[in-house]
Amino acid sequence: MKISWRIWLLILVLILSLLAIRPSFESGVVIKSVERTSPLFEQGLRAGEIIKEINGEKINNLEDYARVINSTFTTEDEVRFEVATKKNQYIALLNTTPDMVIQNVPKTRLKTGLDIQGGARALVKPEQNITDAQLQDLIEVSNNRFNVFGISDVKIRGVSDLSGNKFMLVEVAGATPTDLKDLIAKQGKFEARVGNATVFVGGNQDITSVCRNDATCAGVTGCFPTQGGYLCNFAFTLYLSEEAAQRHADITKNVDIDFTTGGQYLKENLTLVLDEINVDTLLISKDLKGKVTTQISIQGSGTGATQQDAFNDAKASMHKLQTVLITGSLPYKLEIVKLDTISPLLGAQFVYILFLAGGLAILAVGIIILVRYRKIKESFAVLFTSFSEIVIILGVAALIGWNLDLPSIAGILATIGTGVDQQIVILDEARRGRDVSLKEKMKRAIFIVVSAYATSIVSLLPLYWAGAGLFKGFAITTIIGITAGVLISRPAFADIIKKIEGQ
Amino acid sequence: MDASQAIQHEHKKNWYDRTYKLQILLPLAVLVFCVIYLGQFYVNNGDIIYKDVSITGGTTITVFKTVDIAALRQSLSPEFPDIEVRALSDFRTGEQRGFFVETSANVDLVKAALEKQLGLVLTQDNSSIEFTGSALSSSFYQQLRLAVIIAFVLMAVVVFIIFRTLVPSLAVILAAFADIVMTIVVVDIYNIQLSTAGIVALLMLIGYSVDTDILLTSRVLRGREGTVNQRIFGAFKTGIMMTLTAIAAVAVSYILTSSYSETLRQMFTILLIGLGFDIFNTWITNASLIKWYAEAKKL
Repeated sequence: MKISWRIWLLILVLILSLLAIRPSFESGVVIKSVERTSPLFEQGLRAGEIIKEINGEKINNLEDYARVINSTFTTEDEVRFEVATKKNQYIALLNTTPDMVIQNVPKTRLKTGLDIQGGARALVKPEQNITDAQLQDLIEVSNNRFNVFGISDVKIRGVSDLSGNKFMLVEVAGATPTDLKDLIAKQGKFEARVGNATVFVGGNQDITSVCRNDATCAGVTGCFPTQGGYLCNFAFTLYLSEEAAQRHADITKNVDIDFTTGGQYLKENLTLVLDEINVDTLLISKDLKGKVTTQISIQGSGTGATQQDAFNDAKASMHKLQTVLITGSLPYKLEIVKLDTISPLLGAQFVYILFLAGGLAILAVGIIILVRYRKIKESFAVLFTSFSEIVIILGVAALIGWNLDLPSIAGILATIGTGVDQQIVILDEARRGRDVSLKEKMKRAIFIVVSAYATSIVSLLPLYWAGAGLFKGFAITTIIGITAGVLISRPAFADIIKKIEGQ
Repeated sequence: MDASQAIQHEHKKNWYDRTYKLQILLPLAVLVFCVIYLGQFYVNNGDIIYKDVSITGGTTITVFKTVDIAALRQSLSPEFPDIEVRALSDFRTGEQRGFFVETSANVDLVKAALEKQLGLVLTQDNSSIEFTGSALSSSFYQQLRLAVIIAFVLMAVVVFIIFRTLVPSLAVILAAFADIVMTIVVVDIYNIQLSTAGIVALLMLIGYSVDTDILLTSRVLRGREGTVNQRIFGAFKTGIMMTLTAIAAVAVSYILTSSYSETLRQMFTILLIGLGFDIFNTWITNASLIKWYAEAKKL
């Protein structure tokens, strides 16, 4: 039997789609992120590498990794930690579990959306109208802030909607920090004031560096019981630019020494203000009066019901303050207009259900076709065509790196229904009256198919832009599906039917 | 076709020939009823649909914990009068897997109240929280509404380009319009609060519903063999299969996914209702009109 070029084309596209999806049978765990402060990071270990062995033990999956880590770090002693990745070998001395986020090697290159795999999504709107360039600035500062804060798996991009509103869309995959809201929308406008004069502000203009992750110049300094709980203080050092240090000197020069407290301090305090809220008030030692000093100790505190809570709160506050000091404030006041945090709990099970739904939907359609036409070959041809359309959609989605979210999945499931519709048209046209040539019949069938295609495409297009692109997925998968259908799979299906009917 | 079938067919044809003009009255009456219903609905509710929190703005919290739904609703409703509490259950076992609450209130308030009721802290490990501000959601709503209208207009333009004749094109467009209007009325009657996803499903219905109309119209106008009735009947045999398989695919998807995702549940519900009306509107509304046209033009 001669196979027509249309069928060859379908086979070729199917193979390409499978390659794009690329089911992977690789064992090991992949590194999603490594803390910059980890010794392993210093050794050169980076996100994206696949861990094969740890301390000579083979790592096939997350369970292996967890088991090895648990058995390695039983005490607080330093241990030799050898990691063999696909690319390289890294050795470090560690006393706690390495600061890495680890994941099983993904089975395919298909990516699921946040609403399936879990994560957080925030749509943020500046309080004033901004230009595209300004939006890009905002995204840059925000990206920097997330980096400094230590969240690596975050995507920030600008989106606009049909009414011309501009938003910043922040997507964090997997587990999300509890203070995400602060991190995104707090403008982070930091000012250190003496009286009404501003000594320095957050950002690299005034601040050359901030001590972090170094116990000698940053940390929680002490905890005390208070009424109804505990209070912990933190302190860290920051270094001012010459300019800011000079400003400090100029301002404090004119402040008198306060002799009522024993003459140790100046009359005015150094007030730290974050987003118009006083974070802390520091006494200025008399030695600093009029002095150009580039090194300043910043202090603050955290509270909690237990000492541990207070300690954690102090640490978190310090971390946040350090972040805004380093990155400076966001250029605009922001409002979170949409914030979704989706639990990853259902993810895997849900994906399974979706695949099952797709498979059973095709099967149900196949059975109906079989009952109606009572022809095994035709029914199989329908099943095969529907199946290949889904494979092609997934292939293209993998190729363009599209995250399959719920609207996208709905689009795929809906394509099964419409795809079969058009196959039925082809099937019925082929089987109608014998007085017209098969070729003519196929031509008519294709006319109907193409017409239906055109109406579907134009009706889906507006969705591409509506609602800040949050419903785009539906339009994308459906358009890929029906386009692949019209151009590739259904012409091939028509040829297959011609072959079967022509016999 | 043997003799008895031929006679039956003839009989059927005669019946159809006698009644097709009358048949148009049925969908027309239903459509008029629907339009009046929606008008009345608009007067009472300020819109033609009930809106859920994705359109009005508000909070949805899904918690993966089994609770007494009625008791929870009762204890939350004094504080949040508009709160909806519904169980999520596994489609295989029917066992409750969790529940979700929906209210137009601010996320922080709802979360705090819920945490107090349940006696647990809601984290990403036991719950999903979705919040949409009211300004954003109303702008989404307007845009989606606009998208539906644009989609409909574009579809109508394409239909005109395909058939290049006024009456058959109008018949197709009328059938699609009736599908959507009737679906909205059923959604309203069942007190379904439409979400943004639901509106997307309505938009999708436009594409779905014209498929069979295009089949019918092109078979009648472009076919040369057989009588108009035979062409309509032939198209019917094909079209009804198309709709049935589509209904089967959507129904299977509905059964499997509805306990997992409220979004998919509503989308598939609307598609099912719409596909049902599609049978009615294609094979009564559109078929009668196209037959009328074909008879008048002596095709």
